[in-house]
Amino acid sequence: MGGYKATIINELEKMYKKKKMIVILIISIAVILIGKLISFGMSTVGVGVFKESTIFPISVLSVLSITPLPLFTTLVAIDLFAGEFSHNTMKITLTRPVSRFKIFSAKVTVIAIFVLINLLSVMFLSTVAGLICNFSSISFIGIIRIVISYIVTLLPIMVFALVVVFFSNIFKSGTAVFFLSVMLYLISFIMGKILSPYSSLFITSMLDWYIHWVSGVTLIPKITREFLIMLGYGIMFFTAGYYLFDKRDL
Amino acid sequence: MEKVIEIKELTKIYKNGRGIQNLSLDIYKGDIFGFLGPNGSGKTTAMKIMTGLMKADSGTVKLFGYNIVDEYEKAMERVGCIIETAESYPYLTAYENLKLFSRYYKNIDDNRINEVLELTGLLRYQNEKAKNFSLGMKQRLGLSAAILSKPDLVILDEPLNGLDVEGMIEIRKLIKRLAETEKTTFFISSHLIHDVELTCTRIGILYEGKLLNVDYMQNILSNYATLENYFISEVDKNGRI
Repeated sequence: MGGYKATIINELEKMYKKKKMIVILIISIAVILIGKLISFGMSTVGVGVFKESTIFPISVLSVLSITPLPLFTTLVAIDLFAGEFSHNTMKITLTRPVSRFKIFSAKVTVIAIFVLINLLSVMFLSTVAGLICNFSSISFIGIIRIVISYIVTLLPIMVFALVVVFFSNIFKSGTAVFFLSVMLYLISFIMGKILSPYSSLFITSMLDWYIHWVSGVTLIPKITREFLIMLGYGIMFFTAGYYLFDKRDL
Repeated sequence: MEKVIEIKELTKIYKNGRGIQNLSLDIYKGDIFGFLGPNGSGKTTAMKIMTGLMKADSGTVKLFGYNIVDEYEKAMERVGCIIETAESYPYLTAYENLKLFSRYYKNIDDNRINEVLELTGLLRYQNEKAKNFSLGMKQRLGLSAAILSKPDLVILDEPLNGLDVEGMIEIRKLIKRLAETEKTTFFISSHLIHDVELTCTRIGILYEGKLLNVDYMQNILSNYATLENYFISEVDKNGRI
């Protein structure tokens, strides 16, 4: 466990020192501010969806989960794998007394930590922004719905991250992985819309699965089905990604 | 004598036909082993397999009795290395780089980090980012990382690359001192024959992926005027020049 823990700490420190985390958080905050400005504008013209303080964080999540967050996660995943291979810095970690499985797992854990920090920061700031504008509409149930929505979004984002990690271990160039990931994301997104009866097979159509968790009606069968599909994808891409990572010669 | 490295019939052939073939070699505790060979002879390939960066087609490597494939963590626990190039994270300072590496080992504190920085002549640059370092300074930082954990075995691929004459002398002294005082075993590859002659106690000659001969420096210099003469003779004997 020592090597796994050391790799997590090191990867987080490297991410912090590269200032990428800060830049990404700033962009995320900018998304909230722009969203809030738009909501003000819409409220003044009579569109009332943003009037409740607890709806604003959910509307921010609906934007965050399908565009900025998958994009940021892709960049971080590429940086941790393809980036290190192409800059020849992967061998620094690989020549330490720690197995490749622990290194791979630690890097995936760091991606999860990054996604979680991003989600929680945006959740906190958007909730505060929503409350400042309309404090009277706050409710305990509303806050719980926000927390659940943000937390469960971690799963589909992580499955997508594992797809990017898989490609990062096939190609040497980070740029190639980035464009391939973006293309696959777009194709999957469009296919999910066109082939709507089969949309649950496309990971992009599960990015908004938090809606099932917070809708008034309990959708346990649907949540279970989507959870199992995502788990299956996650296990498959984790295993395939690790296989390539372990076999890779430097 | 305790075997530190045990290589048996190691083979790795690339698509272009180059690589190493049936390499068998034992390195004992306290050896300063010089792995000599021209560019493309397979030195780096052998060292990459020894440190787990590359998988062999066949054959085995054991470090301290542990197989590098099956028991990687145990095999690498007492090993420090520089393979191909001395890499560091350019956006971190020399101190921060070593701090990162120290987390993989027990009992390495700031005093030890300062000690290795002083040994390699980098103490006054400890707060400078590695991206501003010259090639020689990067090499020194790589050496600091390799000896940080007080390893029993140090594997160095072209350790004197980029160093000025003063640096070469310092590093040579450091290697000899560690071998004498701490009984550290060194496995060094180099194409700088003169430096190998001045540093190493045992020599192996690799040519076109094959190990031609292994002998002690003392024996070599009692039969030949210089190591270079021995190298040419060995290669010639095998009908390759």
